[in-house]
Amino acid sequence: MVSFFRKTPRTIIVLTVLAAFGLVRTPFENRLGEQLIEAKLVVPPPGMTVLDQMGQSALMATLGGLRPLVAGFLSLRGYENFSEKNWDELRQTYLVITALEPLEESHWVNAIWHLGINATANMELDTKLPGFERKRRFHNYAQQAIEFAEKGLEQVPDSVPIRKQLAEVYREKLKDWENAARVYGEMMEFDDAPQYAERFHGYFLAKVPGKEQEAYNYLKDLYDEGEHQHLPTLIFEIRRLEEELKIPYPGRIPDAGPDANLSRPQKPSSPVLPGGIVIP
Amino acid sequence: MNQTPPSVFEPAIKTVSPFSLRRVMVIASSSVTQLVRMKTFYFLLAFAAIIVVLMSLNPPTTPAGVLSTIKRISFGTMDVFAWLFAIVSTALLIPKDIEDRTLYTILSKPVRRIEYLIGKLLGVLWVIAISLLVMYAVCALALWSRETLYIAEELEAMNADARYSAENVSAQIALIEQQGLRPELGIAVLASFLKAAVVASVTIFLSTFASSSLFSIIISVLVFIIGHAHTMATSFWLYQTDNSLFVQLLLKVVKIFIPNFQLYSFSHGIIQGEAVAYSLVWQMTGLTGVYLVVFLFLSLLVFIDKEF
Repeated sequence: MVSFFRKTPRTIIVLTVLAAFGLVRTPFENRLGEQLIEAKLVVPPPGMTVLDQMGQSALMATLGGLRPLVAGFLSLRGYENFSEKNWDELRQTYLVITALEPLEESHWVNAIWHLGINATANMELDTKLPGFERKRRFHNYAQQAIEFAEKGLEQVPDSVPIRKQLAEVYREKLKDWENAARVYGEMMEFDDAPQYAERFHGYFLAKVPGKEQEAYNYLKDLYDEGEHQHLPTLIFEIRRLEEELKIPYPGRIPDAGPDANLSRPQKPSSPVLPGGIVIP
Repeated sequence: MNQTPPSVFEPAIKTVSPFSLRRVMVIASSSVTQLVRMKTFYFLLAFAAIIVVLMSLNPPTTPAGVLSTIKRISFGTMDVFAWLFAIVSTALLIPKDIEDRTLYTILSKPVRRIEYLIGKLLGVLWVIAISLLVMYAVCALALWSRETLYIAEELEAMNADARYSAENVSAQIALIEQQGLRPELGIAVLASFLKAAVVASVTIFLSTFASSSLFSIIISVLVFIIGHAHTMATSFWLYQTDNSLFVQLLLKVVKIFIPNFQLYSFSHGIIQGEAVAYSLVWQMTGLTGVYLVVFLFLSLLVFIDKEF
């Protein structure tokens, strides 16, 4: 044995040991890798389409295992793009950030917030651009925010913060009540959803033409749950729908009651800015 | 009282035990001294500078967002410093011993070559562990101070506003605390240490047959990068070449010969606030132990007959 060891070239022995070790550990490592990804401790590799969009530095980071670090620095670049109102650059930055750390929901939320709220607000206020261009860009940015949300929900399907931010874009910017109601409806299925999600689902459903009856039934059910649901906006919406749907008086909610002297919260009354913006 | 005098044919030298932990420890502590004299700890100043810069940043986001950014950048930097330090210091140690002729002195004593290799590796691992602990302490202090400040500010602002219930306040504080200093972050530091340990064992193996430190450093960095790109490169290359048989074989060979460093990125999830799966951490620690044993054995295979 010793003489065989002495006669065999050392390189061959080393390579054999290395190969044997590799063959033994590979199945174990594959299984361990899957478990680590499942436990969300290791990030799965970025998708093929995203690789094309990555810059050289980000790609190198992925190869070199510097993903969290590069994503962290790129987040700072994202804030810089935001302060410079460089929205197209910001979108590119967040495409790379979300590709590097697809399971970090705060990146998706930030991307939706920047594009769906900040960029669209900038288009409402930016008087340097002609009206049609502002309108076009407004819709572009809102659409980009929705795309980010859709991709984010593919990665983190149970995310409430992503849905919350998406609903805000539909509600505040696009005035798309149907989709706002849909997103709030999805959100309330989750345990960590805010309490208002179930009410907001009804409020925005009530604004969708043709969905009045469905919204009324839903809101009435909420109202019937008890005192804790007798909130000013809920009562206001039910009364509005009762009028619209011509609900017979005996079936209507009582006028008097603990909320009788409450009225719908007033909208802030600041001067209207260009683009119809009101700042509270 | 008849005592036979010692025979002249008896060996004058005491038999040397096949393995001595004491000898290993002596070599390890001398390696630590050697690394300290090489002013390796100076890189901690660079780390501290990065933390100071990070603390001065005030990105326009929520307190939890700021804490998350600080945490990701500082722990990411810590991880880079750890593996980079492991490569450079390990690659320098053996050639430095040859250059200074210390190696001849050591090996002429009753010191086994395996003891020398283990001692050198242990020395590097000690220095890495100390560095990581110092970096973690700096980072923890920074995180804790920011977290305390944010919690105090949020409490003051929310308590002053009647719209927020006690439930809202505690939810907001919990959100900040989730991104702040948590005991689980210690496991993220352990992940960096385990990765650095494997990198050091690979580098020590390479330096046993390398002709220069530069060669060991370059090849180790290359191995590290390939080891990280395993998974992604496999799917990307197969996608590009339409599952070519040649590429499949080549990738299998690479996977067999090069350690999978991607697994050691499990600190990533912990930093983001995911729950720690301790069974997986134990498995990773065990795997690291096996890597160290195998690469030390490989190093010995090359080093045992090496003539200086």
